[in-house]
Amino acid sequence: MAPRPLETIAGFAAHLRDHGFGIGIAESRAMVAAAIAVRVEDSERLRAGWRSVVCHCPPEWRKYPELFEAYWSPNRRKGTVQTSGQMRRSRDLRQVVAELQEGRDAQARQATRADASLTDAVGNVLDQHGDRAKGGASRCEALAERDFGRWLPQDLSQLERIVEALAQRLRRRALRRLRNDSRGRRLDLRRTLRASLRTGGEPFVPAWRRPRRERPRFFVLVDVSRSMETYAQLFLRIARAFVGILAARVFVFHTRLAEITPLLASGSGRVQEKINAVTAGFGGGTRIATSVSDFVNGHARHALSRRARLLILSDGFDSDPPDQLARELGRAKCRGARIFWLHPTRHAAQTAALTSSRELIDGFAPLYNLDSLARLSEIFGPEAR
Amino acid sequence: MNEQALSETLRTAGYIADEGLVTTLWFSQALERPLLLEGDAGVGKTAVAGALAKALARRLIRLQCYEGLDLQQAAYEWNYARQLLAIRLHEHGTAMAERDLFALDYLLERPLLAALTSDVPAVLLIDEVDRADEAFEAYLLEALADWQITIPELGRVVARHIPLVVLTSNRTRELSDALRRRCLYYYVDYPTLERETAIVRATLPDAASQLVEDAVAFVQRLRKEDLEKNPGIAETLDWVRALHKLELRALPEDPDTVLRTLICLLKTHDDRFQMSGERVRALVEGRRSGAVAVSA
Repeated sequence: MAPRPLETIAGFAAHLRDHGFGIGIAESRAMVAAAIAVRVEDSERLRAGWRSVVCHCPPEWRKYPELFEAYWSPNRRKGTVQTSGQMRRSRDLRQVVAELQEGRDAQARQATRADASLTDAVGNVLDQHGDRAKGGASRCEALAERDFGRWLPQDLSQLERIVEALAQRLRRRALRRLRNDSRGRRLDLRRTLRASLRTGGEPFVPAWRRPRRERPRFFVLVDVSRSMETYAQLFLRIARAFVGILAARVFVFHTRLAEITPLLASGSGRVQEKINAVTAGFGGGTRIATSVSDFVNGHARHALSRRARLLILSDGFDSDPPDQLARELGRAKCRGARIFWLHPTRHAAQTAALTSSRELIDGFAPLYNLDSLARLSEIFGPEAR
Repeated sequence: MNEQALSETLRTAGYIADEGLVTTLWFSQALERPLLLEGDAGVGKTAVAGALAKALARRLIRLQCYEGLDLQQAAYEWNYARQLLAIRLHEHGTAMAERDLFALDYLLERPLLAALTSDVPAVLLIDEVDRADEAFEAYLLEALADWQITIPELGRVVARHIPLVVLTSNRTRELSDALRRRCLYYYVDYPTLERETAIVRATLPDAASQLVEDAVAFVQRLRKEDLEKNPGIAETLDWVRALHKLELRALPEDPDTVLRTLICLLKTHDDRFQMSGERVRALVEGRRSGAVAVSA
């Protein structure tokens, strides 16, 4: 059986993993090494130290304190009620650190044992979490219970094939930047001269350059609010195909926004459970404008450019003030992004938010079955062949 | 060196770091893992490496990344001119084996290799790694994970001393997971009022105390405005320096005077355009009432 401190740390790693953190054995080992490296009285500093080990991007950085509290001090969280008859085993970080360090004298022996124990502990805790998540209730429960296959009787590969065809049709834009290319038409004088040194100063082998060509960069925002729950499954599957084929970044929102690209990219079969874990506690309602604002000013602050294509998959029912959406979309537009609204009905809903933003949106398209997905390239205009 | 000592030496070196950053730097040293710093431009990411080198009395080796950066500019390059010269010299002299031409004597060390082969422990700053191509990022993996570089003609060059590596990124593009997972991560945010005041005081000890307090409070409020480019610490220092040169002892009450000096803080046309005397007045008045001015 795995030693308790290792199991507890592995449990914390699994807890973070459930919330979308990409944590493997290497990170878990680094966490243990960090716990051994600090003094017991400094164990609270581990909070800061572990943060730098387990976080890999700003959204994870912001989410970490809340998750740390939830795991190590579950009783301190506001608004949580424990109804289970079984007492939750308390976790004391200082105790974990102290227990870990007790075996420090037998360090060499323990290093090997700790590695193996940690691997086992991670596995065990992962299994436990898997079982627990199945029965977990959340605001998105209705989504989770829907059959994945219900919306797509055809194979998933068909969906991917359509998105692949779309990717093929999208033109690559020539950038001002040049890249080395033997088939280029511009002479790279510096490299040619540099290469000539190998041949005694005679430029026998010219080096060439040509402009870099890149596909548009896609950002997909999927509305998973209550009003969209019947369509969200289909939209998430489409989004997953966009991640795999077009390297898109995908976000889900209802009252808040969260990035789920790593979850979709991992190809796990438990995507919906993980998305539920990410979006649990968002609260009811749909705040499209607030979510778009988070996206424009936070997640994509440095990524929105003329190459950006923003696909919003939503019915357009927004509980924010109608003019706020126009203002936020205007900000994305100012940076050169093109915005497309994909609605789950044949015609876009005539909501106040959509009406006031109509001029800022480059195209509307229905997206309710595979045929409509196949016709998606039409909204991109001359960009798609 | 414990965290407290590290914090003190960093302070002596002119960098006032918050506790979280000091802990992360300490972990980076203790666990011998590179540190990836992300954050808006101007929050002091690059300065961390400089201060760290100064504090630990290590040599600072800097690799400035840009699009098109390749192996020859980042790691090593054969000195073809010297090799050619050696061949010419040997044409009329003794015979020369091919392996003699591919020896360390003919290798030009670039920052990555220099950091690994340095006789004394170094601090390697890989600045704005997001500007380099993805292919280069993949190349970095070997150097950062195994502390070695493979040169086909020579074999593996293993680090003599493991350098302290600081990578910075402005997030102009997403870095690969592989690189992120080999690094410790720290998001450098804008400093708090207290920390920014301390930084300005430490850097500009001659500036009037009231002026520093007013100016830093103003900048803190300005960052809450909807700006395209938030002023960083460097901009705050420039501005306080400019106000100090104007021989001001406190922030002037006339918004137009403040507005004229805001060229030090606002670096885009749109930000400059939207900052009217009225908004400046609101920001200055926020200082008096203690409230935070937020744009409509």
